[in-house]
Amino acid sequence: MDELIVSEIRKKNEVVLRELYKMHFPMVMNLVCSNSGTEQEAKDIYQEAVIAFYERVQQEHFRLTCRIKTFLYAICRRLWLKRLSEKKRFHGNIDETETFLQIDDVMLDMDEREKQFSQMSKALDGLGEPCRSIIEDFYIRDLSMEAIRDKFGYTNADNAKNQKYKCLQRLKKLFFENT
Amino acid sequence: MNSEQTLYEWIDLYAKGKLPADETVALEQRMHTDSEFRHKVEQQLKLIKALHEYGERRELKTNLDDIHAELEKETPVVPIHKTTGSTWKKYWPMTAVAASVALISIVGTLFMTRDLETKQTAYYKELRRNVDQIKKSQSIMMKDIAATKEKGKILPGNYAGTGFLISANGYLATSYHVVKDADSIYIENSTYGSFKASVVSSDPANDVSILKIDSIRLIGAIPFTIAKVEANLAEDVYTLGFPREDIVFGEGSVSALTGYKQNPNAYQISVPVNPGNSGGPLLNNKGDLIGMISGIQTETTGAAFAIKSTKLLNVIDSVKTDSLLVPLILPKQNSLKNSSRVQQVKQWTDYVFIVRIYKNN
Repeated sequence: MDELIVSEIRKKNEVVLRELYKMHFPMVMNLVCSNSGTEQEAKDIYQEAVIAFYERVQQEHFRLTCRIKTFLYAICRRLWLKRLSEKKRFHGNIDETETFLQIDDVMLDMDEREKQFSQMSKALDGLGEPCRSIIEDFYIRDLSMEAIRDKFGYTNADNAKNQKYKCLQRLKKLFFENT
Repeated sequence: MNSEQTLYEWIDLYAKGKLPADETVALEQRMHTDSEFRHKVEQQLKLIKALHEYGERRELKTNLDDIHAELEKETPVVPIHKTTGSTWKKYWPMTAVAASVALISIVGTLFMTRDLETKQTAYYKELRRNVDQIKKSQSIMMKDIAATKEKGKILPGNYAGTGFLISANGYLATSYHVVKDADSIYIENSTYGSFKASVVSSDPANDVSILKIDSIRLIGAIPFTIAKVEANLAEDVYTLGFPREDIVFGEGSVSALTGYKQNPNAYQISVPVNPGNSGGPLLNNKGDLIGMISGIQTETTGAAFAIKSTKLLNVIDSVKTDSLLVPLILPKQNSLKNSSRVQQVKQWTDYVFIVRIYKNN
């Protein structure tokens, strides 16, 4: 069952993701809410965990070492303890828990990715229009230069490419200067 | 289009996997040899990858938000513990326990204290009962002599005080409170038996009454005198009286030259007296009369009071000025002063009477 889900998610099957999400949310909600958290906080950390799982599944070398539920629970638990210790409500040693799942690796990876995500978000915000849209269209939405040219009303593809090049240069500067 | 821009185009294509195979090989080969070039390419690839991941993650996030919104719409997730995460919700069981403990403590303490209090109250009541008894005894002593209505009701004619002869022709002194309200008075002792007596004169202020034996009968010379001077502090004194049916001897000292509430007409004496002793003679070493027992102080042990003989004489004098059928002749000589106390007492018992009060209601 879990293998099936993993393989479907690897194929980015949205329906399966949806079901997976719905399946395990109550568990996390109980975990958080019975430990002085709110539903909103439960949602936040659950989504982080699901994203972590999702992204990990996308990696080629990913192998499921435990049940998905266990994985999600462990991550949520860890995340929640971290939040609590940030709020000075938890004084235990977080690292001592659940070492057998190699959660530490996952957590590090998550931190890294989260950091990169926020960095990119910031860089894109600093880029301004129309650069941001051009970059996003080309690199994220994978549009062709022709489509971009038409969309932004450039007279020829070279102009659009030129603009894109300039935008990318700026983005590069913004992104890496914060690293 | 400069070379850098061309390179970017290449890398874009390479990243998207759209670079032709031969160019890909060329690019990779150049990366192997030219480290500066490789760094540039890698940085570019990293940026593209980051962009890509950013896009994916953002999409995923919106996606999850959608799912969550949907989830909330179709089934409102009810947490097992419906908590808001507030401190109260988290700690209410502890709070409840603490509250219970506090409550139990309070109630327990209350119970215990109440218990304690009950005990104390009991003790206090007991004490009060004792006091009551003492009061009762005192009032009996007084009433004996005074023959109150209550006592009269319960035991008519069975209340008694003490009295003693002050003249050979049948005059006696006793306490006013013993004989007040009396309908009839009988005096009695083992030597002479019983006589009917009547009140000749009373001085309620000094608690003195003078009685006269109705049937005039000479008893013979009285062997003691009534002291005309006050006794000294710490003087040895003794008394005879009828707290019971038999005559009882008691001794002590003069402990103060004033009586209850600094009454200058009385002594405080440390002689054990009881109800029934009222009206008894207080005697000194010589067997002279120095006072007459009148009462005790309830709160203090060993504090009894006696009217001073000087006061008694004043009263007697005022009686004498009245016209008496039989003259009241006070004894003039003390024949006891050289006797031992036992001898004195033996003599004295002849002149001490139990005064019985009869009352008709």
